[in-house]
Amino acid sequence: MGAPVLEIDGLRKSFGGVTAVNGVSLTLEAGRIYGLIGPNGSGKTTLFNCITGLERRDAGRVLFQGVRIDGLPPHRIARMGIGRTFQIIRVFPELTALENLLVVTSGDRAAAERRAQELLAFVRLDRLKDEYAGNLSYGQQKLLEFARVLMRDPMLVLLDEPAAGVNRTLLNELLDAVRALRDQGKTIFLVEHDMKVVMGLCELVFVLDHGEKIAEGPPGVIQADERVIEAYFGR
Amino acid sequence: MKRAALLLLAALGLALTVYPLYGTGYGVRAMLQLFMWVALAGSWNLISGLTGYVSFGHVAFFGVGAYTGAILIVRAGWPWPAAAVAGGLAGILLALAIGWPCLRLKGPYFAIAMLGLNEVLRALVSYFEGLTGGGSGLSLPTLDATFPIYYAMGGLAAAVTGVTYLVLTSRFGLRLMTIREDEVAAEAMGIDTFRHKLLAFVLSAVAPGIAGALAARDQGYIEPISVFPLATTITMIVMVLFGGKGTVWGPVLGAVALFVAQEAVWARYPYVHPLLFGAIIVAVVLLMPRGVLGLLQLRYRLPRAI
Repeated sequence: MGAPVLEIDGLRKSFGGVTAVNGVSLTLEAGRIYGLIGPNGSGKTTLFNCITGLERRDAGRVLFQGVRIDGLPPHRIARMGIGRTFQIIRVFPELTALENLLVVTSGDRAAAERRAQELLAFVRLDRLKDEYAGNLSYGQQKLLEFARVLMRDPMLVLLDEPAAGVNRTLLNELLDAVRALRDQGKTIFLVEHDMKVVMGLCELVFVLDHGEKIAEGPPGVIQADERVIEAYFGR
Repeated sequence: MKRAALLLLAALGLALTVYPLYGTGYGVRAMLQLFMWVALAGSWNLISGLTGYVSFGHVAFFGVGAYTGAILIVRAGWPWPAAAVAGGLAGILLALAIGWPCLRLKGPYFAIAMLGLNEVLRALVSYFEGLTGGGSGLSLPTLDATFPIYYAMGGLAAAVTGVTYLVLTSRFGLRLMTIREDEVAAEAMGIDTFRHKLLAFVLSAVAPGIAGALAARDQGYIEPISVFPLATTITMIVMVLFGGKGTVWGPVLGAVALFVAQEAVWARYPYVHPLLFGAIIVAVVLLMPRGVLGLLQLRYRLPRAI
């Protein structure tokens, strides 16, 4: 533990006149779970998009395991070991659950199928492996997306609102799965509105407001931080 | 099940192989046309049915193949089989040159760019009269090669269908479908979507190039309007949409169904033909956007190999 996995330095991104991310710097270390919170429109998803290459940053640097990744296309960044899920589910609806995982890999197909089956069992979708992803329930699609991210065995996993719309039973399984990943030495960075989830899971929380990082610290400290309360509830 | 399907395919192949020995002249020519449509529809399916990038100018590859083949035969005295191979190569080169910039365009912009490409090529061919004969066309030396061209076109149709089968049952094919399903998610999962699109595009340009050269040899005369018609692209699209995009046998089914309908109706009621065609387009889009096989596949969970 302790080695920086992701270093963001002065990241800036605007859309037209709106500055979505304004000079954010933060560092994530290996084997820990980080949270990213902030009011709607505070730049959380844009920050994720800049890390994964889906948006091109205007300024700043992003280093993954010491290598600059800002400016690389998304598929290169994914292959280096950063996986993500989306706030609005993006499974491949007309591919089966199993195929959704298989497309991620190349090389030995038998091995890929074995791994996909294991991951589907891990998120308890093995019975539904031949079902079209579009026919799965919302919660199941969320789990499928999570399993799909794990196909590449990424070092860093970005989860955009993993708890939203997932029932309690599924959620507890998902949270256990996230902790299991952490115990394997992976780093998890998640955006979440459910404060119970954030407080129960994350070791360190970053708070964004209007594209700026206004606080960073353990959950207990963050909850009591005046600026955070102000950002959420107003003065 | 699989064995029965293979036996059926073998029987069909055998029947089509011996057909020219027993069929009428009209019958052989009609089958040759049908083979061409199977090859064209199957090719369009490879790029547009799988990736969702609608190529509205796919006939451009056919036209370029036709002119490449015809020019090599007329001006350089090439034998037609070599000219057909050159037609396929011309298709590949054009696909690379056009795909490189245009496949970075999303959805509708790509469709429009392809439509424009076809018009540009038609104008270019008309302009370079010295080489292409311009608007007055290009006549090929007379040669009765209907039988060998029948087999060449039949082989081409079989090859396109075989390649589609291989692609669709591979992870490469599934990855092409992820582009259709959600290109952003595909990129974020580490799929190099541009490279996949370009490969599929090049693959989809080979058979139309060869078919163009074969058709030029078969017809003995080509002109810009006859080898770059938008209607040919539309026909490919309707065939695939009717049969089922993204399936192996959908383009074949669509080609057979529409070609038979066309021959049967066109011969008797030439004015009803465009009307019927339009009606089919509207009906397919409204009632079964996945086409016959796509619908069956989704409803009965048929394997990708269908």
